[in-house]
Amino acid sequence: MIRATLFAASIYWHLPFLVLAISLVYSATRYDQWDAIFHETFRWGLRMFGFMVAIAVVLYVVALLI
Amino acid sequence: MTAGARPTPPTEPPPFPVFAGVLSYLIPGLGQIAQGRVGKGVMFMVILLGMFFLGQAMGNWRNVFMPPVDENQGNPIGKALVSVYNRWHFAGQFWIGIAAWPAIWQFYSPPSAAPPGDGQPGFWHDYQRAPRNAAEEREINEFLTNSDKSPDLGWVYTVVAGMLNILVIYDAIMGPAFIFLPRPEGETGEGIASGQPASAGGAAS
Repeated sequence: MIRATLFAASIYWHLPFLVLAISLVYSATRYDQWDAIFHETFRWGLRMFGFMVAIAVVLYVVALLI
Repeated sequence: MTAGARPTPPTEPPPFPVFAGVLSYLIPGLGQIAQGRVGKGVMFMVILLGMFFLGQAMGNWRNVFMPPVDENQGNPIGKALVSVYNRWHFAGQFWIGIAAWPAIWQFYSPPSAAPPGDGQPGFWHDYQRAPRNAAEEREINEFLTNSDKSPDLGWVYTVVAGMLNILVIYDAIMGPAFIFLPRPEGETGEGIASGQPASAGGAAS
């Protein structure tokens, strides 16, 4: 019951955390300095969000047309 | 980031790379910690193991397993390969290291192993165990059908954690895969590329 309450809201709440975790780990395998890691994390996070927003817009348009 | 704080590639490869790579496979980030890059190592450990176990919890602890194969399939390695072929998820989950080993142990355990204690299957007895019969498979399918999309996202978490650990293992063996960062406006000259010697500063330790 508690588990259902925690996770059932919407899977899209996981999106920012997933993007942050993936871009942070990826960036940390590219650099050893923290400032470079955070800078690269921001860049990759932005790219991934941009990509997903673009896909969402395309799907929305397709859904409107059909 | 200012021009003076531009990242510099490491001057020499990380110490004991192969051993650190093995450590980072076993437990994400452990190789980096052994190499003295403690901050990065702890971050890898917390994020990747956190993702892996959160993913398992979202899937009711039934989304990491190797499905059983025909007993006449051949040698143990062949059986494992056939199993992974039947469920590709484990090809990604495997790379998280020790955290996915119970699935391998369950795969090679005899199916008639009795539950511990009072005969009721306990959590650890079933941990990362494939469904043994049609009834158990039906139970999992009903769970998936009657849930929202969280269980589906759960196995994605576990696979992503395993796949990211491949990058972490690479980092332990080869050091950071240094790449270009865009040069700030107004600054001229060549970018910093992998392999260029320079002094490292502000390392993630």
